Amino acid sequence: MTTRQILAGIRVVEAASGLAGPMAGCRLGDLGATVTKVEWGDGDWTRQCPPFLDDGTSTEFFALNRGKRGVRLAEPTAKSQVLRRLVEQADIFITDLDTAALAEMGLDGVDGDPCSWHENLIVLQISALGRNGPLAGMPGSELTAQAMAGYTRYLGSAGSPSTRLGADVAGMSTGIFATQAALAALFARRRVGRGQRVDLSLLNSLVAMKTVHLAAQTDPDTYEGPRVGGAYDPPERGWKTADAPITFAFGGAVGAEGRPGWTQFVEAVGLKRLLDDSRFDKTGRMTTGLGPKARELKGEYESEFVNKPSAELVAQVRKFGGFASAYLSHEELFREPQVQALNAVRQVPQGQQAVRALDFPVRFSISRAELHGDAPGLGQHTDEVVAELGLTKD
Amino acid sequence: MTGPLSGLRVVDVSIMAAGPWIGALLGELGAEVIKIEPPAGDGTRWVEPQQRGMGTNYMCLNVNKRGITLDFKKPEDRALALDLTATADIFIQNFRGGVIERLGLGYDAVAARNPRIVYCSVSGFGEAGPLAKEACADFIMQAYSGFARLNGQPGEEVEAFRFTGFIDLATSIVGTEGILAALLARDFTDKGQKIEVSMLQASLEMQLSRIAEMLGSGVPPRPLGSAAANAAPDRAYMALDSEIFVTASTAAEWAGFCEAIEMPSLLQDPRFETNVARVQNREPLDSLVAPIIAKRPAIWWMRAFQRRKVPCALAHNFEQFRYHAQVRDNSMVAVVQTKDWGDVVVGGLPWQFALTPGVVRPPPVPGADTAAVLEELARRRSNVKIEKSA
Repeated sequence: MTTRQILAGIRVVEAASGLAGPMAGCRLGDLGATVTKVEWGDGDWTRQCPPFLDDGTSTEFFALNRGKRGVRLAEPTAKSQVLRRLVEQADIFITDLDTAALAEMGLDGVDGDPCSWHENLIVLQISALGRNGPLAGMPGSELTAQAMAGYTRYLGSAGSPSTRLGADVAGMSTGIFATQAALAALFARRRVGRGQRVDLSLLNSLVAMKTVHLAAQTDPDTYEGPRVGGAYDPPERGWKTADAPITFAFGGAVGAEGRPGWTQFVEAVGLKRLLDDSRFDKTGRMTTGLGPKARELKGEYESEFVNKPSAELVAQVRKFGGFASAYLSHEELFREPQVQALNAVRQVPQGQQAVRALDFPVRFSISRAELHGDAPGLGQHTDEVVAELGLTKD
Repeated sequence: MTGPLSGLRVVDVSIMAAGPWIGALLGELGAEVIKIEPPAGDGTRWVEPQQRGMGTNYMCLNVNKRGITLDFKKPEDRALALDLTATADIFIQNFRGGVIERLGLGYDAVAARNPRIVYCSVSGFGEAGPLAKEACADFIMQAYSGFARLNGQPGEEVEAFRFTGFIDLATSIVGTEGILAALLARDFTDKGQKIEVSMLQASLEMQLSRIAEMLGSGVPPRPLGSAAANAAPDRAYMALDSEIFVTASTAAEWAGFCEAIEMPSLLQDPRFETNVARVQNREPLDSLVAPIIAKRPAIWWMRAFQRRKVPCALAHNFEQFRYHAQVRDNSMVAVVQTKDWGDVVVGGLPWQFALTPGVVRPPPVPGADTAAVLEELARRRSNVKIEKSA
């Protein structure tokens, strides 16, 4: 028996470029939705992002747009009959068009109605900085969102040139929140009988994902510990070993005490002297992981760690009940038996080429996600789609 | 309707961060969430810093929940937990591999009582493979998954993102995505299912664009300071007084950038004609641009770039962004009031639903709702008995 895909029959129209909107379109496609991507001019700017696949398709554009049909419009907004007709037939419209452009299309009604002419429609409006406020409609980027949400303060050190998170966290988290919004709005539509507009923004996502720091800095009892030091903590690079640095902890997940294995661990790795050192508690809670004394006392551990390979130290920590990992490179990561056991990477086609892509990040016991290949060339399906709509090109 | 999930019920036995924020998000979407804690308490209550004696992690990761205490060492409490799952739509757990089955709350046991339940199981490394039973934490996964290999100045090897619990939170948003998909599936099949989310796959998802570059080209990613891997110019430049963060991803933004720095000749320079060329010639580009930006204050550049619709920003700290009109006007932070620990600032709703808006409500006092929840459970049971006998 084949399992029905979760979003079978759901039609998505995506008029969004960059990372967040296309990522939502891609993951909804993996769950079975039919996704039509609408572009104009030179198309989505990620088409120009290096490096490229053998056929010249941007690796990043491919990863975010595989499985979609591509339509190129002569004009971007309400004037396009093609876009209007596509949206008319859609369940979900993912867009980074601004509020004025949406209003021009009759897609910015009041009181929660996304539009006056299609009450089932769900509109995901994705912006850089939010729908309201003095900066609404202003452009933004991954970098500006990270800076504005204070992310660059927790990398590097004060007074040195800023460091960004190398992962595109604003784009990715907004893509995931947008996917959630589409799924939740579909769930609600079956109950209230109407679609709705949902607003998302890069800045909003990163501020939401900073909730731990927001709470920590509200009114802390003491300024001790890692979450209140801001930009004045040193860069976090783990504990040096004979090869790659490691990170480890004997922290406690339950109760106020740590895990019991710390004393055996320090003996096993030749650091028995720490048992008599009054700066070390006897659970490791304060001096490992994110413990408040961890950075200050790092050198005491490193004095022995530098004589041992990271793999041995990680094995010892795990043996005594702690948590540990070496800082792996991406080549090492994808060779790990663990990553292979999870089948986290799948092969999908792009023309004649087989390309590796990250699987849907959740495993379902019954439902299935199905990864598609073949990202569309700019305007590749324009004629086909326009004919299906019974229109001629704009 | 207060949220798209109003009317649904969640039982959450997860602790620390990677599981609990799932329950918080489902609560923000309108579901009723019951957090079950052991008598020793969720460890986040003691994670520094505390505010009036309560761990701030506990407060922000458990908003929108009721709190009850059950002792899973006692068979009668395990039975109560199982009874509670029978009343729920969603169940969340993040015990180390194998533990939840020993507690009698594994998927088979819970689904036998309640086949419609969406059962979300959170792990560090996934539920198959040699590390399936290993515990994990945010900074461990930053190291294992390569996330930390993307950060640092050029030439540096690794740098972790400090103390935000970012991978824990990423795991929670991926888990929520899976739960919502499974709820939709249930509408058609009338059956729940088990979904598995791991910190490992969530961290890969956060790195999707960088990993795509590597999987497609064979070239591993590396730290580039504030610069983007895939576009140029897209980095922080030092202005006269402070750094300014500026991005030109599109042809129009590049034209605006050249105009703003009064270097229209760059537009004709073949080294900088396309984004691909600019990424290849990042160093000559920066050696031309950096000295120009260094001559004037950051605010001057903000005006120059904004006028030309080029994305730009200054770095904010907590004190600056929490009161920023843009953050406030879009409710990006929320202040929740607690009886015992004062007001606490937490992240606002990540989605703004126009028709079914959610709300951020305070965290529970640990265990404070135990009596009320168990009384409701007893009432439900006696109603069931009455229905059966009728």
